[in-house]
Amino acid sequence: MNGKKGKIWEENVIIETITRLMVPFIQIYALYVMVGTEGAGGGFQGGVVFAASIVLFTVTFGISKGRKRLPESWNAALNSLGLYLYAGVGLLCIVLSLGAAQYLNYAALPLSQIMSPAHTRALMISDVVEVGIGLTVMSIFASIFFDLAWKGEGKKNKDKNKGDKEVQE
Amino acid sequence: MKPISAMALLFVVFLGALFIYVSEDIPDFGDPYSPANRYVNLHISIDAGADGLEDSLRAGVIPEELSSRIKARGFPSPSETEYSVEEVEGGWDVLIAKEELLYPEPEKYYFLKEEEEGNKLVVYRYSIPVRWEEKCEEEIGVPNMVTAGLADYRGYDTLGETTVIFTAGIAVILLLRRRGKL
Repeated sequence: MNGKKGKIWEENVIIETITRLMVPFIQIYALYVMVGTEGAGGGFQGGVVFAASIVLFTVTFGISKGRKRLPESWNAALNSLGLYLYAGVGLLCIVLSLGAAQYLNYAALPLSQIMSPAHTRALMISDVVEVGIGLTVMSIFASIFFDLAWKGEGKKNKDKNKGDKEVQE
Repeated sequence: MKPISAMALLFVVFLGALFIYVSEDIPDFGDPYSPANRYVNLHISIDAGADGLEDSLRAGVIPEELSSRIKARGFPSPSETEYSVEEVEGGWDVLIAKEELLYPEPEKYYFLKEEEEGNKLVVYRYSIPVRWEEKCEEEIGVPNMVTAGLADYRGYDTLGETTVIFTAGIAVILLLRRRGKL
């Protein structure tokens, strides 16, 4: 808020530097929460933490740069990829056991002939199902945030979209 | 129609078919072979016409014969701990006090059910909390009980939750993203 009309946002070295430092650590922490089953957390929590890092980046650097890091095409693909991973594993259990197992019965995968059924379940839960949930939650939250924050629609502001700062008014 | 739209339509139709299949594949409520069953039959039965059996159950006492037969099968015997018997529809609930300091509420443990055929009293065991506590590491290999419940025992539920979030995001896209380009 510097009093100039139409510009309430400006660069701030401290905020940008801190954000640059924090975003990778937040994302690593999100992956730690998302993958693995030993600690607390899970796909939902990890996905939300990951989306929070994207929101922090966008708030600091502007919506155009944020969209450049997570393009709409990638976002749209990731939206459904997570759900496909989860539902696909369930379907794979039926297909690979030739209809003998139930949907989402991970122990029916042929992987359980190499390791024990319990370990197959643990592997599927920690590395496929939770990651699928996390991908969907992360991209959906980012998508909702970008859709709500985007003000560059309409003909009036169309030319302004090229400039990063004016979009934020 | 652009080819990308045809592919998207195909994916949507496939996803819809998948969910119809899932809703058909959910096990029936009360199916003893489903993971989410309510109680497990212990195959311990006693003649319901025995002397004073119903009276003692109504008075809140489990007969010693039943108690010892439960113990012989390797399950915790009610007579050794503090317990209470509650009459419910179709049978009796046996509540066993947990040995905990902070949450001393009794836990539903056994379920005595009267069966019409043969006039037998059959012992069932409530399974969900007990199974989560005791069996989750053996069955799923996950040390975290919450994750095991979330992704395996209640896998359908979690799939539905993920779908709810997905649907919310798609609804926001449909309502707000009107720029004429994806």
